[in-house]
Amino acid sequence: MRKVVAAFIVVGFIAASATVCLASQSNTGCGLGSIIFKGQEALLFQVLAVTTNGTSGNQTFGISSGTLNCSQPSKIVGNERLNNYVADNMDNLANDIARGQGEYLNTLAVLMEVPEASRGDFYSRLQNNFTQIYTSPDVKSGDVLRNIESLM
Amino acid sequence: MRRDSGRGCWVKHSRTSSLCIGIFLSAFLIPTVHAQDAPYLARILESVRQQRLHEDPYWHVLVHYRKTCSGVESVIDDPKFFLATDGKTNPEAELEATVRAFFDPVDDENDSAVCRFAARYEWIKERTGLDPGRLPVPQCRSFLEFMDRIRPESVTLVFPMAHLNSPASMYGHTLLAVGTANGSKLLAYSVSYSAFTRETFGPSFAVKSMVGLYPGYFSVLPYYAKLQEYSDVDHRDIWEYRLNLTEPEIRRMMLHIRELDMIASDYYFFDENCSYLLFFLLEAARPGVRLSDRVHGWLIPLDSIRMIEDQGMVTGAFYRPSRTTKIKWLASGLSDALQEKALGLAAGDAREDPFESGETTDQEKIRTYDLGSEYLQYLYTRGEVPAETYQARLMKILQARSRLGVSEGDIAGQVPVPAEPTAGHHSNRFAVGAGFHGDEVFEEIRIRPAYHHLMDNDDGYIRGAQLIFADAALRYYSSDRKLVVEELDLIDITSLTPRDRFFHPVSWKIRTGFTRIRGEDLRGHPVYQVNPGGGIALDTGSAGLAYVMFETGLLIGGVLENDYAVGAGGSAGFMQSITGMWKVHCSVRDLYYGPWDGFNDLEAALRQSFFLGPDRSISVDVARRLMRGYYRTEAKVLWNLFF
Repeated sequence: MRKVVAAFIVVGFIAASATVCLASQSNTGCGLGSIIFKGQEALLFQVLAVTTNGTSGNQTFGISSGTLNCSQPSKIVGNERLNNYVADNMDNLANDIARGQGEYLNTLAVLMEVPEASRGDFYSRLQNNFTQIYTSPDVKSGDVLRNIESLM
Repeated sequence: MRRDSGRGCWVKHSRTSSLCIGIFLSAFLIPTVHAQDAPYLARILESVRQQRLHEDPYWHVLVHYRKTCSGVESVIDDPKFFLATDGKTNPEAELEATVRAFFDPVDDENDSAVCRFAARYEWIKERTGLDPGRLPVPQCRSFLEFMDRIRPESVTLVFPMAHLNSPASMYGHTLLAVGTANGSKLLAYSVSYSAFTRETFGPSFAVKSMVGLYPGYFSVLPYYAKLQEYSDVDHRDIWEYRLNLTEPEIRRMMLHIRELDMIASDYYFFDENCSYLLFFLLEAARPGVRLSDRVHGWLIPLDSIRMIEDQGMVTGAFYRPSRTTKIKWLASGLSDALQEKALGLAAGDAREDPFESGETTDQEKIRTYDLGSEYLQYLYTRGEVPAETYQARLMKILQARSRLGVSEGDIAGQVPVPAEPTAGHHSNRFAVGAGFHGDEVFEEIRIRPAYHHLMDNDDGYIRGAQLIFADAALRYYSSDRKLVVEELDLIDITSLTPRDRFFHPVSWKIRTGFTRIRGEDLRGHPVYQVNPGGGIALDTGSAGLAYVMFETGLLIGGVLENDYAVGAGGSAGFMQSITGMWKVHCSVRDLYYGPWDGFNDLEAALRQSFFLGPDRSISVDVARRLMRGYYRTEAKVLWNLFF
């Protein structure tokens, strides 16, 4: 019986220790929806929360979160940080551009070095030309950036 | 202490063998110092010895020495972190070996001690007046270039709150975000310590992380990547605490992060966890800050924030709502019909203008589209919509949204800010009180190290989420002067997450520990219980949070026939904060146990808490319970102190 009790204590601790101080990281593709993916979990899995625990890969000093293979527009090919940012934040940036405001849009303006004074214009120009920027549902980050550039 | 001495033995054992290997290898591998540098090296070593720098507290911070019964020992376990063979336990030898290593010629600058031990180098240089020009590698260029590129200007302590419907994660996580010169928070770099594993089997993961079988590493990633993980996928609200570190302090911190790059230290869930390792960085940043040596036994991430606040390092708190919170806020301002519209948009309503009547204002339309796109993204991260469908639907919603102009204010900026976590109650609880059971009077003392009970004040916590570790109750019955252990709950987790139009979580509970079952005998007998349950909860508004749960129970104890009983049944109740100071929980619970000596365990209870400030409360519980054929009433009043 002592073993049974011990087993239950262990199970109890598992429930408590799940999802603590741990990280997951996976990111694929260059288009919309290329964000970390987490499938629907069964109830037991929510308790145990095991699937995404622990860091995978040795990207201690990661600069981007895994979009290095996305094609880059020729004009601003030197601005690796901007390219990575757009590729890594496709979905949230699309939200902000459609809304004409938000933190992701502000950060785009910072990276594109748009002067503070003309940011209002910049935001509304992007919003008004949403369909010229996001030309198709499977548009890639490089195209998005090229289309934004062409509006400048 | 127990673990410390255990590891001390292991270190001693391995040291004898590695010492021999070290002596053997040193004859071949340790490069000789250039003839002209030898006198200079001797001078620096002399200066180090004269100043007794190995006793300097900052040296102990940089190598992470901690006092043990027999001296000191570094918390870092990776042999790469030490230059002397006995460096883990010998600060003086490690310091001298470090100074010597600066003089070693190397092929690749990045392999030099100047680069690998960047913080040690800066400190020793400063304290001894070491002339970089006389070293083979005078400075670490790759680090300087890195610093020049990111130009760190600010540091923020980041605290993601609990997952939706997962109270266990209330325990939490802390990380740092290093803000750069351009001022954008998204472009900050997150610095986070976590266990490194490819383990996917839950139970072995949990056990191994508790006993330190996984190496932990720091990782540095763009902060936006962390935000995606916490805000968009895990649905955790985030609190950001701005720290008042100056630029030289941030520089020292970055130097130390460089030193810990790819250095392993065994990960321990309870104490040597993410929050503990962040203390090292803050201690390296600001000499004189004392955090890690104040940790005894365990460290809860939320408490680590309080400790950092106590050092006067926190200047402000900023709330960042998760996607789920934004969805709830957007929905709260829309009529039922418009909420249904938003659901329709996320489900692929393809009409050009889904608003039939002309009565919907533009601001309402904007809010409906914003709700639709956020909800669609929520569904996508849960894997409920395939990628192509998601892209097509999102594009449709955002195209329509982009034609409507801007809303009155940004969504994230308008979500009401809840109580800040450190303003909530502390995690230890001590309670003392009295009551009667049947016709006998008792006094009761309870102690609980963590974390939050359904009946505690919710400010700074999540309503309907309970996480209890090791709650012990002692009772003293005056009539026969007997002290008994009334309860010992090892784990008691409850998640009452209300369902609504958008979210359909399953509420659940798991409780395990020692309790008493009573029959004819008033004192009862101790049994070990395991009691899981699952059900649904609804937010009824005025009547509070209502729930129904199916429950099962396993009891193990000598008092039961064949030592055990299994039961099934259910519970229901509602819980409401009537004012900010008064909370009520009404419940009924009935489990029928078998198979040997069948009996019923039926309880109706009214529990109330009165809050006298964040860290004091009075609870008044009244319950009528039927067990093994005997009805009894119990009532008690407890005074609770959180510390």
